[in-house]
Amino acid sequence: MENNFLKRLFHIRGMGQVITVGLGLIVMCVVFGIINPLFFSGTNVENLLRQIAPILLIGISQSYVLITGNIDLSIGSVVGMSCMVSATLMTKGVDPWVAAGITVVICLLAGVLNGFLVSGCKLPAFIATLGTYSIARGVAQIVNNNYNTGLIGDGPVANAFRDFFYYGKTFGIFNGIIITIILWLIFNFLLSRTRTGRHIYATGSNAEAARLSGVNITNTVIKAYVVSAFCSGIVGLITCATTGMGAMDAGNGYELYAVAAAVIGGVSTLGGQGILFGTVVGACIWGTLANGLQFAGAPVAIRNIVIGIIVVVSVLMDVIVRSRKTTDKTKTKTTVKAPLQKTSL
Amino acid sequence: MKKLVSLVLVVLVLAVCFSSLSIDAAAPKYKVFLITMDQMDQHWAGVDKGCKKAAAELGNVDYKWTAPDVKDDAKQIEMINNAVANGANAILLAANGPDAVISALKEAVAKKVKIVYVDSPANFPGAATFATNNEAAGNTAGKEMLKNFAANGTKSGKIGIISVNAATASTVAREKGFRAAFAGKGFTLLETQYCDGDAARAKDIATNYITQGCVGIFGANEGSTVGTGNAIKESGKPIIGIGFDKSDAVLSLVKGGFLKASMVQNPDLMGYEGLKKVVGILEGKVKADGKVVDTGVSVVTK
Repeated sequence: MENNFLKRLFHIRGMGQVITVGLGLIVMCVVFGIINPLFFSGTNVENLLRQIAPILLIGISQSYVLITGNIDLSIGSVVGMSCMVSATLMTKGVDPWVAAGITVVICLLAGVLNGFLVSGCKLPAFIATLGTYSIARGVAQIVNNNYNTGLIGDGPVANAFRDFFYYGKTFGIFNGIIITIILWLIFNFLLSRTRTGRHIYATGSNAEAARLSGVNITNTVIKAYVVSAFCSGIVGLITCATTGMGAMDAGNGYELYAVAAAVIGGVSTLGGQGILFGTVVGACIWGTLANGLQFAGAPVAIRNIVIGIIVVVSVLMDVIVRSRKTTDKTKTKTTVKAPLQKTSL
Repeated sequence: MKKLVSLVLVVLVLAVCFSSLSIDAAAPKYKVFLITMDQMDQHWAGVDKGCKKAAAELGNVDYKWTAPDVKDDAKQIEMINNAVANGANAILLAANGPDAVISALKEAVAKKVKIVYVDSPANFPGAATFATNNEAAGNTAGKEMLKNFAANGTKSGKIGIISVNAATASTVAREKGFRAAFAGKGFTLLETQYCDGDAARAKDIATNYITQGCVGIFGANEGSTVGTGNAIKESGKPIIGIGFDKSDAVLSLVKGGFLKASMVQNPDLMGYEGLKKVVGILEGKVKADGKVVDTGVSVVTK
């Protein structure tokens, strides 16, 4: 039974890279544990998971968009916008839950805008989301007149909000982690088991072929961007709960962390390929590096170098594996079994 | 031909500038511009407040605050040029970078505009500088932490430092001063961690420090300080947190006892003293001696 399950797991396309990178992650953890045994302490494992959670969420964001063959550069700014809008509303006396609701709606609109610009207006994703990147950051700045907000309050309701998204625990696990797991399960199901998911892969693999087979490309791309904006919005709320205030700088540079988490886990920047299992491993590597290198006392320059190398190597691995696959196939003349396989080289 | 036309135009513009300058000099009012790095920071609003106060007291100043929308050398240079073209008698400048603005300042001085630095000087002689000595401020923060250790009997242990990034001169100086305060005191100062001003990331870093068993954490700017305070609050441990800045969030963490102290700059003092001095120079009452005045930090505690 278990054997069957493992077999099925191995047969999921893209699982190869996930397992290789996963092994790398384990090696990395062991090394950090040897350098500083406190790395494996219960407190740190809990914290580490909590630090990975937001990276995984933005990783899901970027994965969805990357799989459609596009990119979302607005993720970090949407995080900042979400943080500032929610915090500003709360400091103005709006109930935290209502504020969170309004914030999520605004973020979803940003997602719709992204999707519309990219697939409706045929703008290059890089440019369209660069625009939203700037707009969303501008909204984050203007919403409280160019100031970081004050505290969102110390009352029971504000504290309930902060506990719900970050500080509280359910069944002994931090809420931020639980929220992330639930969202991951939902979006993984959506991507791997539903028609929408198949459309997303098809669009990224070959948009023209997908369109001819009756896939509504515009809707599909908008859906991907909306998922992206939703997850980013939730990260903004988590950030707001963590700090108890709105900071205009929140989420600065997150869009690139998101790309890193996605591509380390094997999501292709060319579209059509990648699974959310990979994004989990990618986010874990990113979070573990940040955490472990601090425990190892490494200077920030070393950290940047290590992270850069890992990103490049993991993408390189992907490219090599795929080019070998393509040459194998041309040699044996077998037809490509998976219809959505993207042969990029 | 085109060149000739543009040359004539430039000469005309310059002539207008000069004539407006001479008209202004004849009028009793002095035109003074405050040019900051951007308009986003509460810090600059503080400088502006101090200037306004001084202007109201003096009564003979036409004072204006201008700044680029984001920190950008090229935009700040444009602002300086615009101020000069607008007939400025003096400019209070918070230089974005120490070198980028030098040639613009040379041109301004050639047109008899007085330059006084507030907050951040450039590598060009000004009439005076009013700024926080960040190294001294960091040192004060270190001494404040040592005072708290003396009070609770801690004689050794690890100390974590959270800063913005390795390139921001002010926070690097604060860190240097902070480290200097601990020389030979028997504490272990850990490798500095950078949060890019993001309070959520600072919280993660501080939590990691606490897991490593730190007895004290220093935050070198607002975001780092808020992150430190939140992490100490959550841990419930008697860790000594010392920070910088005085936003709402920082003050409430100090009030709650999660941060022992916060170093607060005096931007209004920079603006106030800066404007008074420069008007004194324009009136010929004070000498432009290029003196650097440390406006100091106030230590905010519970």
